[in-house]
Amino acid sequence: MDVAFRKIDIDAFDDEVLREPDLYEEDPRGPAQALDEAKQKQVAVRSALARNDIVDALSIVLDNPPYGPNVEEAKNVSLQILLTILNTTKSTEISTVIKSLSMDARDILMKYLYKGMGKPGWGDISGSVLLGWHEKLTEIAGTGCIVRTMTDRRTV
Amino acid sequence: MAPEVYRIARAPITAHAFNADRSTLAVSLNSNDAQILIREDQEWTTIETLSEHDKLITSIDWAPNSNRIVTASQDRNAYVWQQTPDPKTGKVVWKPTLVLLRINRAATHVRWSPNEDKFAVASGARAIAVCSFDPENNWWVSKLLKKPIRSTVLCVDWHPNNVLLAAGSADSQARVFSAYIKEVDSKPVATVWGSKLPFNTICGEYRSPAGGWVHGVAFSPTGDLLAFTSHDSSLNVVYPGSNVVHNIRMPSLPLVSLLWTTEDTIVAAGHDCQPYVFHGSEAGWQETGTLDDQSTLGGAGPARRSGLAARSGAFAAFQAADSRGLGGSAAGGSASTDTKLNTVHHNTITSIRAHDGVKGQIERISTTGVDGSLVIWDVSAVSAVASRLGVMSMR
Amino acid sequence: MSNVLRPYLAAVRSTLTAALTLENFSSQVVERHNKPEVETGGSKEVLLNPLIISRNENERVLIESSINSIRLSIKIKQADEIERILCHKFTRFMMQRAENFIVLRRKPVPGYDISFLITNTHSETMLKHKIVDFIIQFMEEVDREISEMKLSLNARARIVAETYLAAIAT
Repeated sequence: MDVAFRKIDIDAFDDEVLREPDLYEEDPRGPAQALDEAKQKQVAVRSALARNDIVDALSIVLDNPPYGPNVEEAKNVSLQILLTILNTTKSTEISTVIKSLSMDARDILMKYLYKGMGKPGWGDISGSVLLGWHEKLTEIAGTGCIVRTMTDRRTV
Repeated sequence: MAPEVYRIARAPITAHAFNADRSTLAVSLNSNDAQILIREDQEWTTIETLSEHDKLITSIDWAPNSNRIVTASQDRNAYVWQQTPDPKTGKVVWKPTLVLLRINRAATHVRWSPNEDKFAVASGARAIAVCSFDPENNWWVSKLLKKPIRSTVLCVDWHPNNVLLAAGSADSQARVFSAYIKEVDSKPVATVWGSKLPFNTICGEYRSPAGGWVHGVAFSPTGDLLAFTSHDSSLNVVYPGSNVVHNIRMPSLPLVSLLWTTEDTIVAAGHDCQPYVFHGSEAGWQETGTLDDQSTLGGAGPARRSGLAARSGAFAAFQAADSRGLGGSAAGGSASTDTKLNTVHHNTITSIRAHDGVKGQIERISTTGVDGSLVIWDVSAVSAVASRLGVMSMR
Repeated sequence: MSNVLRPYLAAVRSTLTAALTLENFSSQVVERHNKPEVETGGSKEVLLNPLIISRNENERVLIESSINSIRLSIKIKQADEIERILCHKFTRFMMQRAENFIVLRRKPVPGYDISFLITNTHSETMLKHKIVDFIIQFMEEVDREISEMKLSLNARARIVAETYLAAIAT
């Protein structure tokens, strides 16, 4: 007797159920375009760092970051750029830099900090640098920033 | 004026509702029964218990003019209670009438409409049951608002015209529906939300930019504006006429409940244990302060228990658990990280209600929370925010 | 290395405070049931993004949150074989008595050493900031406990070896 019907997950066929992609809007740029933009940002950030303008460099990389499931390469490039900036900032300057960022930029920075901490040992991630930034950012932006990182499905 | 604090119980207050003259209070203390409390001096004492529900009562609303209470519970039922003289004793007691909601999941929130002839029940069945009284058969019938809700509905609020209903749900959307019921309502006047609105029309669908479940939703006193709080720690105010949505991001924990005190002021409270006041106009909104003046309520924090510092904390916690059956709550204070709460409420505030004043000019509000206290605040006593839970630095 | 401990614990504390925003939520899948959504994982919309806070590759905290419950998993630093064994025994000891701890989970999430499950009933009966204090204290102490146990183990082993070999030597 065919009892395969017992293994069907009936809830998966329910139309009303919300699935992951339904919860946010997809990144309108495709993977190639997102990667191009990320590379352009890399160039812009390098010149900003050469001028020692940390705030400008951060604002460039935190503006409209690639998010979502199919832009992996662009996301990795953006993360790498951000890590270079974070590593080159002196710990005494961190507070001033964060204070001059916009609210959007702070939320996105928090997302990147958690992403970095989720990949210990990738690239040149340093736990202590990320934790130092996290502490200062929480003092300034508050726990609301962390809550937004948890609720916002547009994962960078 | 200092807030009036009443510690009603040691259990969370899931819902509260006052009657018209604010002398009697109906509460649900995280249980299947609702209690009617009456004010005696500075205390609230129970005079009656309403027990009909099988599971937790999630929401209570008291219709001020017709003096009826509606309770909704996780057992998929709602009851409408009316005061009638008991034939045996002659006393006036509350008698329940079952409402057939036709939902197959828990009910989460219930509100009477402004004219008190309908009420809306939000439920986990991805639907809102709008119930009206059918005099022919002498019972309450429900019509369900289903599309396009995709998840549990967490809160509802009625528009002053008795037809439009705002609902916030766990799929991160706040929606405005038309809950027009032919038998009960007369044709509504056109509003900024639309005209000619048959039952279940969507007049607007809004989402906070960072997503997050919509915990509280409210129309302004005139009904022309909509405000909703969502889990991304933000408050959104919608201006449907110009299609503008103002998003106020908070650096504190998410807000759960909100109330419009005037057409341009909102009081909201939530996991931060203190009510915040927001003020604004079409140009923009900002937070103006808190009603909880923490400078006077000095930190009478818990004394540091250093006795346990002799053994290391985890071992001591286990030992305490083993010998005294104490559980996971802190052996606080032995390390230097002892957090103190300086707010009146010690835990999340779950509901805000208007207490004194007319609609559009509320003067006092009442809040209840998970800590089991009822606090009545004066809306004009706004002070600067001294501390926010979670951003306190501990050294 | 120890100066990274303070920001690490501060980060865990603030993330945990942000995650402990729980409320009673009846299951929307099964009627009249009330289950921790982070464990059932059925409805994607009531789950939040999981966050990892890490100090280095060997020490991590994973916080998975939902509308009525959070799951916190800790990976404790285990430098060598002895520490690995001690950590395993220590956590097993506690997990077998998980009922007395109330917030402890009987099995750790795969990839981690110990897990806590905190639901809305816990945050209603206990003060939230105290739960956070407890978890942070636990993290501070567990490293110390394991080092103490390792030291005492080594000391005992040395004494035993000396006594035994002294008996043979003479």
